[in-house]
Amino acid sequence: MEYIVETSNLSKRFGKDLAVEGLNMKISKGEIYGFLGPNGAGKTTTIRMLLGLMKPTSGRIRIFGQDIKQQRKNILAKVGSLVENPSYYPHLTAYENLEALRKIIGVPKQRIYEVLEIVRLTEVADKKVKGFSLGMKQRLGIAMSLLNQPQLLILDEPTNGLDPSGIIEIRELIKRLPEEFGMTVLISSHLLTEIDQMATTVGIVTKGKMIFQDSIETMRTLAGHAISLKVSQAEQAWRLLLANGMKVEHESGLIMLHESSNEMVAEAVRLLVQANLSIYRVEEEKRSLEDIFLSMTREDSAV
Amino acid sequence: MISMMQTDFLKIKRKGFWFLTFLGPIGVVALQMVNYGVRKEYLLQQSENDWLYYLQNISVFTPLALVLGIAIFTSFIASIENETNAWKQLISLPVSKMMVYLSKFTILACLLFISSILLMLFTLGFGIFLSFDEAIPWWELVKYSFYPYFAALPVLALQLWIATVSKNQGVPITTGIFGVIFAYSAYMLPDWMIWKWPSLMNQWDEPLINVLLGLGVGCLLYVMGMLDFTRRDVK
Amino acid sequence: MGAVLRSEWYKLRKSKILPIIFAGPLIAIIIGALFNYDSMEGGFNKWYLAVLSMNLTYALLFLPLITGVLASSICRYEHQAGGWKQLLALPVTRGNVFISKYVLLLLLVFLIQLLYLGAIYIVGIINGFTDPFPLEIIWKSIIGGWLATFPLVALQLWMSIVFKSFAAPFAVNVIFTLPTILAVNSERFGPFYPWAQPFSMMYIGGSADDVFFVPWEQVLTVVGGSFIIFFLGGYIYFQRKMI
Repeated sequence: MEYIVETSNLSKRFGKDLAVEGLNMKISKGEIYGFLGPNGAGKTTTIRMLLGLMKPTSGRIRIFGQDIKQQRKNILAKVGSLVENPSYYPHLTAYENLEALRKIIGVPKQRIYEVLEIVRLTEVADKKVKGFSLGMKQRLGIAMSLLNQPQLLILDEPTNGLDPSGIIEIRELIKRLPEEFGMTVLISSHLLTEIDQMATTVGIVTKGKMIFQDSIETMRTLAGHAISLKVSQAEQAWRLLLANGMKVEHESGLIMLHESSNEMVAEAVRLLVQANLSIYRVEEEKRSLEDIFLSMTREDSAV
Repeated sequence: MISMMQTDFLKIKRKGFWFLTFLGPIGVVALQMVNYGVRKEYLLQQSENDWLYYLQNISVFTPLALVLGIAIFTSFIASIENETNAWKQLISLPVSKMMVYLSKFTILACLLFISSILLMLFTLGFGIFLSFDEAIPWWELVKYSFYPYFAALPVLALQLWIATVSKNQGVPITTGIFGVIFAYSAYMLPDWMIWKWPSLMNQWDEPLINVLLGLGVGCLLYVMGMLDFTRRDVK
Repeated sequence: MGAVLRSEWYKLRKSKILPIIFAGPLIAIIIGALFNYDSMEGGFNKWYLAVLSMNLTYALLFLPLITGVLASSICRYEHQAGGWKQLLALPVTRGNVFISKYVLLLLLVFLIQLLYLGAIYIVGIINGFTDPFPLEIIWKSIIGGWLATFPLVALQLWMSIVFKSFAAPFAVNVIFTLPTILAVNSERFGPFYPWAQPFSMMYIGGSADDVFFVPWEQVLTVVGGSFIIFFLGGYIYFQRKMI
């Protein structure tokens, strides 16, 4: 399968610190790839390397199947990006900022109005960016990233500094991009909820290493359903189920059943009833994505 | 390349670049306006050839204005990108880093060249106003207006490199102060120091050598600065 | 006030200003070492010759220009990442902040002057001077030069608060400093030009009738007067500045 972005064993060292270590990232066409990890995990460093801003210490990057080292210009012509805080020239107006970029990438002037419209900055197009609010600057940054009609859009923490309605707006915009324009999107965030609402694929990075990379559905199943049983004699019940070959745990008076298929639950209940134990409650314990994320990033290994 | 430069010209709008481009030569000539305004009689007695003497007076300040102008321009143009860390935005466009660097250099070289043209015009204008007895020494006028510019190209290359790779703009500005002090003390410096060259002094008494050195070493320093710039990671 | 000053000093210490401080004596040593002392005829005290030649660049160009770099450095970290609003949201008055920064700048300039004194001495040792060191005269020059920078420092602090970049305040500084080269040659204008005062007050060939090398009236009117204008200008601007 051909990937839009593919890194192999990507590493970056700053002095003694390994900021990124053996990272293998794979992004297929049309995906919204959520690049997730706590602050300082190496997300921005990875993105800087993808954009050719930094040279990897070792490893390879291929974008659109081409090596970034050799084809940097060709690749970047089809990439739009917003890295960390938006970069702009405060003494120029929103329009002039876009015009400064447009001259380099050479799209028609009409495109400036289109992107201003997309991020709803048309009315302030002729105001100096100096006086913009944080959210407006962020939207200008997104407009800049869209200017060259990119096939790959790389957004580093794009909802930084936006108010709730702005966040929803940007989120809806990003979701539209793959369908309407055939774009592939890489979006980084330290907030799982953020990624959860947009991404189709997730890559989780911590301390420079990729610890999980798969579809968001797979991640959700990892969120798993454990069944907790509250019974009269927990100790005895635990031994009974264990003796019948079930994966169970006994913690603080509760029995935790890890395989949660319907048959398995029915079987467990049947065994307990036959042993004359009283069953007070059978509950499904849903682990939130947040829990998984935290436990993953804490233990450095997949659950 | 043309589009890159158009972008750079757009970016320097409203930042005072054009103002300084004009102010430099105006200032240099204005100092002589004051000088001649205060003690014209005395100055006229100093030399056999008043036009040449006037040009020499002008040329005392030209190297200083050039060296300081270069320090200000290079630091300014780097600050524009540094202010919101726009380097990352710029470098992630489909342009080569060499082009980015070359464009900045070319823009500044253009502005300084315009300054040199203006210097010639203002010098000529005030010279005519002073109505010396001699005929206008055209060739000398051109020499005194443009030779220092070419001789100062190594300083431009060096300062642009320092300004683009320094996070703290105090560094290139302090280098610029060193430069102007060297330029002011040109008469006592050894010939190999680049800050001496805009003064057009050398042991052979042949200004053209400084122009050729300026072009040659300017190119060399430019290439070194550019290669270092492209080698660096963008933060 | 003391706390603000200590905080300013702390921030400054962390901002790599040392190379800039040492730039002055370094350049003085270079110039002093390059000068050819044997070219001068007659029985001059060689220390005089050294100081005269070094002053020519140090007091005329370096000292006025470096005040601008120091002032910009001391404001740099406030302009970056919204330091001003952070600082002024603390229980301090704007006046305190301004005066603290100003006092700190004066101390830095004084430090540079002391280092310059050291540089003179080093140049003497390099060249093997045997003449007696004219301590009193050189002290006068050092202190006088320092006093003469008071108004320049005030103007540069003002400009550095106005502009974010280093280049803009420096451009202002250059515009006023370059004419000094002409001004010091003029007996009519030199005494009235504030940027020429560091040179005049460090010029050991000047009249020694007063405490300094320029008459008291000139110190009070030109240095004092321009100090009041620039200091109040900056102070009032800072009070009203929108952060």
